[in-house]
Amino acid sequence: MSFPKKPGGKALDALQNLPRITLANLRPEPGATTEEKKRGRGQHGGNRSGRGHKGERQRGNRPRLGFEGGQTPFYLAIPKYGYNEGHSRRPQYQPLSLKRLQYLIDLGRVDPTQPIDLTQLVNARGVTIQPLKRDYGVQLVDEGADIFAAKINIEVQRASEGAIAAIEKNGGVITTSFYDPISLGIVIKPVPFFMRGQPIPKRMLPGEDMVPYYTDAENRGYLADPEKIQQARLALAQKYGYILPDISKDELYHMLSMRKDVRQIFFGLSPGWVVNMSEKKILKPTDEKLLKYYSS
Amino acid sequence: MKSTNSRSEKRSVAARTHRGGRAVSCGRGRRSGAEGCNTLSKSGVLLQTASYNPRPLKLNLKEPFIPDKDSRKTPEWQKTARYDRKLFGRHGSASGVDPASLWPSHEELDKIIAEEKEWHPPLEVMLKNIEAREKQETEKRLAKEKLIAANMAKMPQMIADWRREKREAKIKLNEEKARRAKLLAEARVRFGHAIDPRSAKFKEMVAEIDKEEKKKKKLMKRRLKEEQEAATVTPSATSS
Repeated sequence: MSFPKKPGGKALDALQNLPRITLANLRPEPGATTEEKKRGRGQHGGNRSGRGHKGERQRGNRPRLGFEGGQTPFYLAIPKYGYNEGHSRRPQYQPLSLKRLQYLIDLGRVDPTQPIDLTQLVNARGVTIQPLKRDYGVQLVDEGADIFAAKINIEVQRASEGAIAAIEKNGGVITTSFYDPISLGIVIKPVPFFMRGQPIPKRMLPGEDMVPYYTDAENRGYLADPEKIQQARLALAQKYGYILPDISKDELYHMLSMRKDVRQIFFGLSPGWVVNMSEKKILKPTDEKLLKYYSS
Repeated sequence: MKSTNSRSEKRSVAARTHRGGRAVSCGRGRRSGAEGCNTLSKSGVLLQTASYNPRPLKLNLKEPFIPDKDSRKTPEWQKTARYDRKLFGRHGSASGVDPASLWPSHEELDKIIAEEKEWHPPLEVMLKNIEAREKQETEKRLAKEKLIAANMAKMPQMIADWRREKREAKIKLNEEKARRAKLLAEARVRFGHAIDPRSAKFKEMVAEIDKEEKKKKKLMKRRLKEEQEAATVTPSATSS
């Protein structure tokens, strides 16, 4: 005849009997904190305070970065060439490896049961996008394709073929879409945008040089033909040697088939609406001209 | 649009996972550390999702600062439409801003539409431009390749011609040399000593030789003609 075990047991006893937690009872894990170096104090930090002996080093008068004492510096000696022209104006895409994506999903920072968007990735602090540094979004890189095992509906700005194959192999859906710089700034920081009180703008179409990329079914572009995308999925499955799982029979089919409209920035919000955070209200325009403009 | 269907859900679920905004915490009072939500997926497995602590929204709803528009002392930038929008964004209807002013007026909208028409052409136009450009490029490339192919086809003939010309030039050169040597020898025989080919005597001698050659040729021609006439007369005589 066994006694019914009290649920909780020793842990519950401890919780009931130990004193309350205060700052006096807490201590960091050994190895968590390191003592900071204090300059100008003590036998080792004092005297010259780690600055060296006399000269420009100690007096803080060293010349600018890159100066080589009068010799033509490296950054001036190397001649310019055409293939570097306009390099600072080229669009950049922050890489996101499948390894990191799997890490984020495993830790629960990204929810695979909802469509994964750039907003979700930035909320999870998975990537850091700087739209002012000519970043145009995130690109999916196929490092970690062999260990990737998550069924997700993901939307990125660029994706390599291997990454597309890895996601579709696991029964997921991938789309590449374009965000112009203003929309990108809104997507990565939605709350500061809502505090500005502006209506949600419509997403602009990509420029002529990027239209071929986004109308191509091979890249799963958001402007491409859905039938061609289906054919491309089959072709890719044949190329990489896996059986394409049928997502229409999936229980999460509705979630996987959720896709944004071409002019939409957020799921569930359409252009022209004003979102107010203080009163938790959404305001919509009623003027026909405005409606026509925002729905074009 | 898909947005209209989920609009009502979105508003009621505004406190929970916000699709467009940050993932708001499930436990509303806790502000320290990363918070987690327990979402139940459709398959019934309990998934734990973490989310970062959202930055505290300092809305200041109790004493909102709304500047006096009529006073002289308020700075200019606080009387602009942009500042009004920000006030509305922070305080909502308590800011006393007419929500209709948040959207562009008709004139501003016209300007925006004109700008968009000029700088952002629709997808069809862009696709057409791309097609036209590509077609031009392919045509240029094909024309170039055709030209190259045609020229390459001509190459064997051109090589043969060139070789033949070279050979002929060589032969002519050799003949010229032989002729000059012969003339020199002739002159030597006539005058008894080596004579410079550039002098007047040599030239006179050359002229004489040429004359004699011409006379000989004329005689030869006449004889040939007579023979031919004789040949034509006799067959006609025999045939008739």
